[in-house]
Amino acid sequence: MNIRRFVACLCFLFATEFVAMASASADETLTMGVFAYRPDSVLQERYQPLTDYLSRETGISVRLEVLNQENMSRAIAANRLDFFLTNPSHFLLIRSERSLTGVLATLVRRSGQSSTGSLGGVIFTRAERDDIEQLADIRDKTIASPGVHFLGGYQTQVLELMDAGIDIRRVNLIRFMGTHDRVVRSVLSGYADVGFIRTSILEQMAQEDPDLFTKVKVLNRQRLAGFPYVVSTRLYPEWPLVALPHVNERAVRRIASALFAIEPEDEVALSVGISGFSPPADYQSVEYLARTLRVTPYDQVPQLTWVDALHQYRLWVFTILVLLMLLVALSLWLGKSKRQLAAEQRRLRQLIRGWPQAALLIRGGLFIDTNRASVDLLRYTSSESLVGKDLAVFSPEFQPDGQISRQKMAPMLARVSAGQVEQCEWVLNRSDGTEIWVELTMAPVHTEDEPEALILCSLYEITLRKHAEQRQRLAASVFEYAREAIFITDNHGIVIDANDAYLAITGRPRNRAIGRLPPLPVEEGSGIFASARSQGFWSGEFSSRRNDGEPITLSVTLSSVRGDHGEVSHFVGIFSDISRLKEQERKLRIMAHYDALTGMPNRVLFADRLQQGMALTRRQSGKLAVVYIDLDEFKPVNDAFGHEAGDQLLVEVAARMRSELRQEDTLARLGGDEFAAIVMNVQDDASLETLLVRLLARVAEPVWVADHSVEVSASIGYTLFPQAEDLDGDQLLRQADQAMYQAKHRGRNRYVRFSDPSS
Amino acid sequence: MQRREFLGLSIAAGLSAAGLPGCSDPGPLRFGIHPWIGYEPLYLARDFNWLPDTVALVPGTSAKDSMEALISGALDGAALTLDETIRVRSSGLELLVVAVADVSAGADVLMVKPSITELTALKGQRIAVELNGVSGVMLFKILEVAGLGRSDVIKVDLPVSQHAQAWSRGEVDASVCYEPTASLIENAGGVRLFDSSDIPETIFDVLVVTRKAAESNSRAVRDLLTGHFTGLQHLVRSMHDSMYRIATRQGISPDEVRMALASVMLPDLAANQRYLRAAGPIETMAGSLSRLMLAEGMIDQNPGIQRMSDPSFLPARVS
Repeated sequence: MNIRRFVACLCFLFATEFVAMASASADETLTMGVFAYRPDSVLQERYQPLTDYLSRETGISVRLEVLNQENMSRAIAANRLDFFLTNPSHFLLIRSERSLTGVLATLVRRSGQSSTGSLGGVIFTRAERDDIEQLADIRDKTIASPGVHFLGGYQTQVLELMDAGIDIRRVNLIRFMGTHDRVVRSVLSGYADVGFIRTSILEQMAQEDPDLFTKVKVLNRQRLAGFPYVVSTRLYPEWPLVALPHVNERAVRRIASALFAIEPEDEVALSVGISGFSPPADYQSVEYLARTLRVTPYDQVPQLTWVDALHQYRLWVFTILVLLMLLVALSLWLGKSKRQLAAEQRRLRQLIRGWPQAALLIRGGLFIDTNRASVDLLRYTSSESLVGKDLAVFSPEFQPDGQISRQKMAPMLARVSAGQVEQCEWVLNRSDGTEIWVELTMAPVHTEDEPEALILCSLYEITLRKHAEQRQRLAASVFEYAREAIFITDNHGIVIDANDAYLAITGRPRNRAIGRLPPLPVEEGSGIFASARSQGFWSGEFSSRRNDGEPITLSVTLSSVRGDHGEVSHFVGIFSDISRLKEQERKLRIMAHYDALTGMPNRVLFADRLQQGMALTRRQSGKLAVVYIDLDEFKPVNDAFGHEAGDQLLVEVAARMRSELRQEDTLARLGGDEFAAIVMNVQDDASLETLLVRLLARVAEPVWVADHSVEVSASIGYTLFPQAEDLDGDQLLRQADQAMYQAKHRGRNRYVRFSDPSS
Repeated sequence: MQRREFLGLSIAAGLSAAGLPGCSDPGPLRFGIHPWIGYEPLYLARDFNWLPDTVALVPGTSAKDSMEALISGALDGAALTLDETIRVRSSGLELLVVAVADVSAGADVLMVKPSITELTALKGQRIAVELNGVSGVMLFKILEVAGLGRSDVIKVDLPVSQHAQAWSRGEVDASVCYEPTASLIENAGGVRLFDSSDIPETIFDVLVVTRKAAESNSRAVRDLLTGHFTGLQHLVRSMHDSMYRIATRQGISPDEVRMALASVMLPDLAANQRYLRAAGPIETMAGSLSRLMLAEGMIDQNPGIQRMSDPSFLPARVS
């Protein structure tokens, strides 16, 4: 709006206001505005009787003013009107622009004998337009309408066509003609293809032009019984008569009462062409129509501000805000948890990957992840070699316990999947073919809601331990099963462990063996520990006694065991019972030196004794005699009474001879019936000969053998030592032997001293 | 946007997101209807194309047509009075009341000769009644109010459409009927002695569907009700338009339409929710009617009125 128009408007408003106020206060003239929906003159002529009637009935001067919509709005804005009668759409527009007291009455229109309080729209075209038969044909046609704010002349038709699927406001050219009459004329003249007018217009115009209905064709004609006009749309209430707020209440009441008093047959009704006025109709259908079409005053959707929305939906907003806050808090918390979880996962992964012990993850029996240590353990280069395979692939066909690896693994996996933890020793094959012992631990690491079991399998190599165990077992079995007694003492020599052989040999029960000293040699005693400590070991044989007092001979080796710092921490002793060995040895020695029949020394021991006697004699500068004794007539005894009798005879004779000799003398049986004696410290020949005589006498005494008394004699030869020549034992014995032969020659039962034939 | 709408929208959005259980196309819901002021919203909906293809209105001349077609299976639903619904139910066909179209408040009348001035005077009189229809129920209610026994009156069992002729032939002294017969008898010198406005919330005109249709074609039932309530909204909001349309269809004047409308109450959505709720007015009245009809021998067996009304098909709102 430019400045000039604005100023003009202001002046106009001011002027009219002043005039209206002046006239109202002067002689109480009320102005009734009537909307010029048809030419002004027609309406002026038609409604003049109404204002006249009202002036007459109420005593208030009522002036008629016929106005088009624009001027009426302006006049109302200027308070130049006190009442107005207009179509419902225009009324809604005015009502929205300023508050009104509302509708006083609704017009009831007359048509001939019938009347109606409803109006509708007419859609028509020229009768000869064969191309326009129904609503759908209007789509691309030019339309003539009196104006947007005409209910029956525009809005009803738009809604009807909209329902038929045509939005004419978009697709059609619409010419706004201002009044209904011009619409009819423009259609008839061909200026427009289709005309929109309200009901009753055609009927009114037909009064002047009786052929009108033959010239036009009404589209979408509604057959409504009792409705007096042709109509193309649904119906709405007729025009409202509205009082403006500034009119005083008394005047309004009087006007209303005058209006309702009009009867259809009254003159005023007839001349105005109405049946009268009815109580105000409900205009919500019109309002709904305007809202649907978004025409003024409902063309603008009220701007919904944030504050409005907030106000209206504060509960929702509050709820949503709270929910959002919860959501954000939850998201933050979730994010934090997720980060923590991720960090924990990383840590866990790092832990497993970096853990020096082999760890593998198993799903469905197959490795799905491995760490470096497991790859190294099996001597592969990368985890790809392991992933996707099962444990049995890396195991020998049989485990040490004889089970097939694969068969042994399956039930274990099943148990672990069921939630148990399994632990066992297992043998694996490395890539280079070597075998290793591992301690296998499998534990479920899946949660119950996970469909497939996830198992953590850790491998701990125990090959060295296994070997050590084997050695230890071997050592233990040596300890346990050795025939030799083995004992371990502390560094003071107190037994702390001993094997069964120890107990068996010593005859001590375990409780009397442990915590005591082991058997020790009588002479040295605990001294052997000192020897073992200083020399590293001690070994020897000694006699001891079993627990039950029986003597035993032990061969003992005692070793010191040194600790980490070189100090002696333990002693280990091994001994065996050599009593039987010693007895055997003693028996053998007797067998070698003594005659089995008589128990006298034999030739070997004789030679030995002779050697000793000679050495002793030489040292003492004394004399000794070697005597050779051979029994006479022994063979006949043997032949007559048997060998047993012979042997008895020999034993008896030997005992008799022995009894005649001194302790230091030696009597030996050289074989058969030959004996030899060594007589030490021979003082003189006489004493020697006395001895020899006694010997001969003792032998000659009868002997009772085999129930017979037998008599034998002996032939004795002897020699002395030392002699002029240096002689050895053999030579001496030979000399005695020769002398004995001399005695035999001289008639037996006598003694002869050796005399050198050469001398 | 009002809160209710917002809620409705969110629910609708939720439902559409969840995907309504798709049913194999059961064909349109065949719904029987006959001329009655309470059923006009459905006619309006049909005329304005507010009924989608899922609903096929099958116009008949009387409730009898609808009842027979329901039992024969030719219809999936119909507009009936509550007592007619009970009759069909007692024949074994399970019907669900999904909406109340109107509540009679004067539409059903007792027309009498001017000489009869009070109900007790009906004793010994010949009363035209359609025992097999709402007229029968009305008569028993009248007798109940009048304190008369069944045998105190002479019942002349005639279809309501023939009451006017019987009246003019002088065969009856009274008639239990409804418009337009009532107006015809009134023009012939009859007097209105009693009408349904004296026994409020007794005579219901309802929209019923078979349970089978309700279960297999629930969408069509919703469409039907949406159409009905849209028509009702138009009737109320655009009274000026509806009046002429109803008058046109019924062949009477707009003024007569106005009078007819005055004799019924047209409950809106909220009122329907109240009527249809479990153990609500419909089920209560159905129970009382069943007992009455059983006692009067109008039905053979108690139809059972549990879960007879179901408000779940009512639309949340109509635009």
